[in-house]
Amino acid sequence: MNKGIVHLRINGEEREIAIAPNRLLLDALREDLGLTGSKRGCDDSSCGCCAVLINGVPMLSCVALAASYENCDITTVEGLGGPSDLDPVQEGYAEMGGAQCGYCTPGFMIATKALLDRNPNPTMEEIREALSGNLCRCTGYMQIYESVKYALEKRRAISAAAASGVRAPVVR
Amino acid sequence: MSLPAFRVLQPRTVDEACRMLAEHGAEAMVIAGGTDVIPNLQMKLFAPHVLVDIKLLRELSQIEFSPRGGLRIGATASLTHVLETPWLAEEFPVLSSAVATIAGPLQRNMGTIGGNLCLETRCRWYNQSYFWRQSLGGCLKKEGDVCHVAPGGKFCWAAWSGDSAPAFLALEAEIEIASVSGARRVPLRDFYKNDGKDRISLTRNELLTSVHVPARMAGRRGVYHKLRVRDSIDYPLAGVAVAMEVDASGICRDARVALSAVNPAPLLVRGAGEMLVGQKWSRELAERVAHAAIQTGKPLTTSASTPIYRRDIVRVFTRRALEEVWKNGQASS
Repeated sequence: MNKGIVHLRINGEEREIAIAPNRLLLDALREDLGLTGSKRGCDDSSCGCCAVLINGVPMLSCVALAASYENCDITTVEGLGGPSDLDPVQEGYAEMGGAQCGYCTPGFMIATKALLDRNPNPTMEEIREALSGNLCRCTGYMQIYESVKYALEKRRAISAAAASGVRAPVVR
Repeated sequence: MSLPAFRVLQPRTVDEACRMLAEHGAEAMVIAGGTDVIPNLQMKLFAPHVLVDIKLLRELSQIEFSPRGGLRIGATASLTHVLETPWLAEEFPVLSSAVATIAGPLQRNMGTIGGNLCLETRCRWYNQSYFWRQSLGGCLKKEGDVCHVAPGGKFCWAAWSGDSAPAFLALEAEIEIASVSGARRVPLRDFYKNDGKDRISLTRNELLTSVHVPARMAGRRGVYHKLRVRDSIDYPLAGVAVAMEVDASGICRDARVALSAVNPAPLLVRGAGEMLVGQKWSRELAERVAHAAIQTGKPLTTSASTPIYRRDIVRVFTRRALEEVWKNGQASS
């Protein structure tokens, strides 16, 4: 198969890759771009481990052809934040035991990020609905919901602090 | 699982898409959201040389309503777009309650209304990897000549597994189909063939472009009930859609009941409308319509649940849906 050049904006950075037309976005991310945060779980679009944000919307990279998303903005879990600048969502999952084996965690964090960006004050029902496409076999989901609550408290604290010009307090 | 080799064409207009389909015909498949097509390609259920990716056809992504033209939803409108169109839930509750049950939120962000109306039929003997299927020598729908659901039979029972189609049937929807020889409009009920192997009346060089609901259906009460293994994500094991017009004195003026996942096609329940029109709510009437529903629904062992249970749940869901709709969303049993 002839490879073609595809342009993607990955975590804010312009990337250009030469890939075959049947290259899945998940494989392009993991193998062509070395971003192994997104995981292949079920391989048939039913678990959410491979979720990434495409133009801000959470989608499944295991059923997306990379070439179909030419010039799109893609955010993977690596794009949320690194070890020294964790996103409140990542901090929440770390603090509240939202990750056990960790395999589903990138997908959950992407779904959480998408939820909080759209709806800064979700109800418990809205949280459950937003995460209902992601499967976790370890936690029983309660710690995950606690993690989301932590993240949204932290985001509230950050925006309140920003509004008053004070540094963000640590939320526990 | 790996994907077969194919080229991807990205038309910018419906005309261009139709020309591509006319040129590549049997070798081409249409892809939009990819949530149905990609897993099927990975299982080697199809081996197209060309994928016509219609995701970028903006002209097909609109959802609009006019008092004359009624509701029109373009084929590439995402399922999330349907759910997040606020007036749609008020005017066509049966449709939004059905779409809300399709897969999970991530799939709904990708999947399209056109894709859901053209979904591949599903069966436990069919939706498996190539390796798995080969160990049985295939089935009637693919690579074999024996039906493992009804051995000895020559008919494919793979179940219709879309949730939006029964809602659209209950709303008397029509679809528009484009090809190089022009557009045609057909009632949705004539689109489905009730044959698991050859599910829809759509040739390889045609494209479903939109679905239309008559304006008079706006405001009609309705609901969709769905049985599935995991309530957050799965395909239906049985589904019942009810749309009904009830006048101020509580008399049913018009009604349709449609089923999903218990036949190779989504089907309207025969005789349901005639039983309901002119009547007031009664438990006994609902039971009679529910009985008609299980005469239309003929589930076989195509999925994870047993036919007996799925048939019984069709009866229960029909009665509950009628009660809920008639009593305007108040408690059901």
